[in-house]
Amino acid sequence: MNTLARLFLLLACFASSINIFAQTEGADPVSLVINTTNHIFSEVNDNFESYQSDPASLQTLVRTDLIPLLDVHYSSRLILGRAGRGIEKEKVDEFAEAMISLLVNRYSDGLLQFRSQEPVMVLPQRGDLNEKLTRVRTRVKLPTGGEAPIDYAFHKTSDGWKAFDVIVEGISYVTTYRNQIMPEVQDKGIDQVIRRLTSGELELAE
Amino acid sequence: MANWNWLNSFLIMRFKLPVAAAIVLSLLLSACAGTQSRNTDPENDPWEGFNRKVYAFNDGLDKVVRPIAVGYDKIMPDPFQRGVGNFFRNLDAPVTFLSQLLQGKVDQSADTFGRFLINSTAGLLGLFDVATKMGIPYYNEDLGQTFAKWGYKDSRYLMLPFFGPSTLRDGPARLADSYIHPVGRAIHGRNQWGYYIVRGIDQRARFLDQDAELGRAYDPYVLMRDVWLQNRRYQIYDGDPPLEDYDLYLEEDLPE
Repeated sequence: MNTLARLFLLLACFASSINIFAQTEGADPVSLVINTTNHIFSEVNDNFESYQSDPASLQTLVRTDLIPLLDVHYSSRLILGRAGRGIEKEKVDEFAEAMISLLVNRYSDGLLQFRSQEPVMVLPQRGDLNEKLTRVRTRVKLPTGGEAPIDYAFHKTSDGWKAFDVIVEGISYVTTYRNQIMPEVQDKGIDQVIRRLTSGELELAE
Repeated sequence: MANWNWLNSFLIMRFKLPVAAAIVLSLLLSACAGTQSRNTDPENDPWEGFNRKVYAFNDGLDKVVRPIAVGYDKIMPDPFQRGVGNFFRNLDAPVTFLSQLLQGKVDQSADTFGRFLINSTAGLLGLFDVATKMGIPYYNEDLGQTFAKWGYKDSRYLMLPFFGPSTLRDGPARLADSYIHPVGRAIHGRNQWGYYIVRGIDQRARFLDQDAELGRAYDPYVLMRDVWLQNRRYQIYDGDPPLEDYDLYLEEDLPE
C-alpha cells in the first residue's frame, strides 16, 4: 500500500472514530444514537480508572459529545408546560442550562455505575416514524447480565435531528420531570427552582 | 367493643390472602375518602386524596421494613440475592403461562412452559436461571395485563396498603393471580405469612437504589405514581408503547 493510500485510510479511521460533529449534518437518528453512545461507551471503557478518579473530565466528554445532539430547550419547554407561561425567554434559557448540568451529571454517574462493555443494540424501527418525529429503541447490556431498554425520542429541527426525550423502561424523563417541576415552579417560582437544580449539581459533584 | 374477628376469619376463610385484605380495606377506605385537598392527575388518579393516605401509611410501615431490607442487602452476597430473585420469578411462570394463553400468545407461552420445566429441575427449584443462558426468553405477563389487552386499558390508580402502587384493574387481578400461583395455591387457607414476608423483603431490597431519588423529589407521591404507571403501560404494550403526545404538553403552554 502506498503512503498516500495509507494516509487516506488513517484519516478515514480518524474521522469515523472521533466524530459525530461531521455527521450531524443530515445524519439519521439511528446512526446518531449508535455513533454517539458507542463512542462514549468505548471511551469510558478504555479509560475507566482515570474517569473514575476524575469525574469532571467525564462530564466534559459527555458535554461535548452528547449535549450537541439534544434539543434541551425544547425539552425544557415541554417540562415547564403551563408553568412556563409568561416567563421570559432568558429565564427559560437559564432553566435549560440548569437541566443540561443535571443531565450531564446524571449521565456521567450512570456511565460509571453501569459500565457497559458491549456496543449498544438498536432494535428495528417500527411505527412512530414520520418526517418530524421518530423514536430510536435500544438495548444496553448491563454488567449484571440484564439489559436496559432505552429509547430516544427525536424531532427534526432546522439544525437536523435532535433528541428531546429519553425513555428508560417506558419511563419518560420529560413526563416525569414535568410532573415534578411544573408544580414546583407554580408554587415557588422559576428562580428558586433553577437555584435548586444548580445547587443539586454542586451536591452531586462533591 | 366491636368484635372484628368475624371479618378476620371471613378474610382468611374466603380469600385467604393478604391481597384480599388490602383490596377490601382500601375499597372501604376509599368509600369514605370524600375530601381531597388537591388533584394532580384527575384522569388517572381520581382517588388521589385516599391514595395519599395509603401512601403515608405505607411510608410509615417502611420505617420498619426498610432497615430489614437494608440489612438483608448488606449481609447477603449478590449471587445469593440473584438466586432468591430467580426463585420467586420462576414461581410466577404459571401465571405468565396462563396469561399468555389468554392473550393468544401461544408461541410465547411455550417458551414460558419450557423455562418453568428447565429452571425448576436443572435450575434447582428455580434458584438458577438456566433457561435464559440457553436463550429462552423471559416474558412478563399477568392477569392485569391480560385484562388490559382485552380492552380494559385505562384504569384508575389505586394505592394498596402493604403492596404499594396498583390500579383498580390490577389489584383484583393480582388476587386472581395468587390462585394460579403454585405457592399462593398451597398456602391458601393457612395462616402462613412466611413466604410473603421473605418475598416482600426481597422486593423491597431491589428498590433501595431508588430511595435517594424518591427522597429528593418535590412530590415523592407523584414520582412513584408516574414511574409506576408509565412502567405498567410499557409492560401492557410489551415494551413498545406509543410515544407520549408531546404536542399536548406544549398546547398547555399557550395562553388561553
